[in-house]
Amino acid sequence: MILDAQGIEMSYGALKVLHGVSLRVAEGETFAIIGPNGAGKTTLFKVLTGERMPSAGTIKYRGEDVTRMPAYKRARLGFGRTFQVARVFSELDLKTNVVISIESRLRYSGRSPGPWWRWTPSQEVRAEAEEILSRFGFPQHRWGDEAQYLSHGDRKRLEFCVALATNPNILMLDEPTAGMSPSDRREMTKLLSLLKADTGITIIMTEHDMDIIFELADRLMVLNYGEVIAAGDPEAVRDDPTVRKVYLGQGHQHA
Amino acid sequence: MNRAAHIAILVLFLAFFLAPFLVHPGLVFIAGFAMIQIVFALSWNLLFSYAGLASFGHAAFFGVGAYVAAAALRDGLPLNFVLVLVICAALGAFAAFLVAIVVLRRASGIQFAVLTLALSQLVVILIGYSEFFGHDEGISAIPRPVMNFWLFSVDLRQPLVNYYFVFTVCVLAIGLMWLLVNGHLGRAMRAVRIDPERAAFVGIDVWRVRVLAFTISGAFAATAGALLAPWGQIVTPDYVNWLHSAQPMFASLLGGAGFFWGPVVGVIGLSALNYLTRTFAGLSEVLIGGSLIIVVLLAPQGILGMLRHLAGRTGAEKPGGHK
Repeated sequence: MILDAQGIEMSYGALKVLHGVSLRVAEGETFAIIGPNGAGKTTLFKVLTGERMPSAGTIKYRGEDVTRMPAYKRARLGFGRTFQVARVFSELDLKTNVVISIESRLRYSGRSPGPWWRWTPSQEVRAEAEEILSRFGFPQHRWGDEAQYLSHGDRKRLEFCVALATNPNILMLDEPTAGMSPSDRREMTKLLSLLKADTGITIIMTEHDMDIIFELADRLMVLNYGEVIAAGDPEAVRDDPTVRKVYLGQGHQHA
Repeated sequence: MNRAAHIAILVLFLAFFLAPFLVHPGLVFIAGFAMIQIVFALSWNLLFSYAGLASFGHAAFFGVGAYVAAAALRDGLPLNFVLVLVICAALGAFAAFLVAIVVLRRASGIQFAVLTLALSQLVVILIGYSEFFGHDEGISAIPRPVMNFWLFSVDLRQPLVNYYFVFTVCVLAIGLMWLLVNGHLGRAMRAVRIDPERAAFVGIDVWRVRVLAFTISGAFAATAGALLAPWGQIVTPDYVNWLHSAQPMFASLLGGAGFFWGPVVGVIGLSALNYLTRTFAGLSEVLIGGSLIIVVLLAPQGILGMLRHLAGRTGAEKPGGHK
C-alpha cells in the first residue's frame, strides 16, 4: 500500500465534515473519490496532502506514519498535488514555474541546483523544464509567457507540469478537469492515461465528470456527508443502488 | 530587461562614479548618503518583493550596523574597518535571524508588521537608556578610519578616498543582492511570496525560506548602517526610529517595488526632492508626501512601472513583457 488512511475525522469548529473515512491505495493504482458537493472530498484531500491536520485517524505512506507531517515534507516524500482552481506562480513565466519545482526537488534530495551566484538556472534544470513543458503541449514560443495570462485549461496543464517536476510517486489531483472546455477535458484525460501507462504513477483524484472517472479509475470511493457509502471497482460502484440514489441520480446513463 | 534599462543603469553607475568630479562637495555628501540609503532600501525590498514580508522595523538592523561601527571607530578598536563591516553584517544577520524565528513562528500580515515595528521601537528605547551608545544624543564626531592592507593603506580621512570606499562597498552589496534574488534562492523566495501553499507542495520549506530572506536582508541593512558611521560621522536614534524604517518603503513605492532597481530610482527621487527643497523648511515633507500620493494614484507600480507601461505603449516592449 502506498497510502493507507484509517478512520479520518475532521471538523471545522462544530461542523464535522469527515466521519471516520478509510481508504487504501495500492502502488500504481488510480483511485477516484467522488461524491456530491459538500460531501467532504476536498477536505479529505487537504488532510491527505497535509494542508490540514485531521482531528482523528492515521495516514500512512508506504508504512510510514505521516498524519502530522507538514505539506512540504510530504511533498519531499513524493506527494504531488494540483488544486481545484489551478495554482501556479502567476507572475512568473512558464519555464520559471517548472524550474522552481525542479530546483526545489534538487535541493531537498541533497543535490545542488547550482551555485547561488548563478543568475540563470543550470543547463540540466533548463533542459528538464523544457522537456516537461514540451511533453505537456507547451511549444517553445510560449515558455516565456507569464502564467497569469494563460487560459484556464492551460493553467491546469501548467500546474500539472509544476507538480510532476518534483517526480512524485503519488499524484493528488483535485478535480483535474473542473471548469475546462470539452476539448481541454479530452486532452487532459488523454494526458492522464498516457502518464499512467508511461510511468505507472499512483493517482488519487476527485472528479465530477463520470466519463473521466470510468475511463481512468481502477477503483473508486463514494463520499456522502463525510461518510464512505460505497467503494470498489467502477462497475460495481455504478450499479450500487445507494450510490445511484444519492449521487448518480436516476437520469444518469452510461454506455 | 531591455536595452534602455541597461543604459539607464550604466548612466547611474557613471553618475555616482564621477560625482566627485562633477558636482560640489555638498552634493557629493548627499550622493554618498543616497548610496547608503539605496543599499538599505534594496535590503528592505529584497524582503518585501521577493519573500513577501513587509518589515516595519527595518531601521533596527540598520541601527545595529550604524551603532556598532560608530562605537568601534569612537573607541579606536584596533580592527581593520573592512572587518568591522563584516562584523556589523554578521550582527545584523544574527539580530534579524532572532527576530525572524520569534516573529515568523505564527504571525503573518498585520501581526508581522506590528511586531517588527514594536521590536524596533524597543531598540530605540534601549539605546536611549544606554550610556555606551550615547543616550538620545547618539554618537557624534566619529573619526574616520585608516585601513592598512598588506601593500597599501586606505585613508578614509581623505574625502575622495572616503567616497570611493562607500561607492565600492555599495556597488558590491547591490551586486550581491542582485545575484541572490536572480539565483535559485531568489526564485524560491518569489515562489513563497506569490503562493506559499503552492510552494510548499513542491517541497519548499516556506518558513525556512522566509527566515533566510529575513537574515540576509538584516545583514545588508546593517552593512548600510555601518557605512553611515564613517560617512556621516554622526549616528543618532533617529536612524533607528520608525520614520527611518519608512524610508525604504517610500523609496520602493516611489520607484516601483516590483522591480529590483525600483528602490534605487526611489531613493534618488527622494534625495533630489530633499535637496531641491532644502531651503524651504517643511516643504520637503509636503512635496514628498504629495509625490507619493500622486505615484500611488497614477502609477501604482511606481516610476519604473509607469516607464514600462509607456514603453509598452510605444511598442518598445515585447508582448508578454519577459526578459
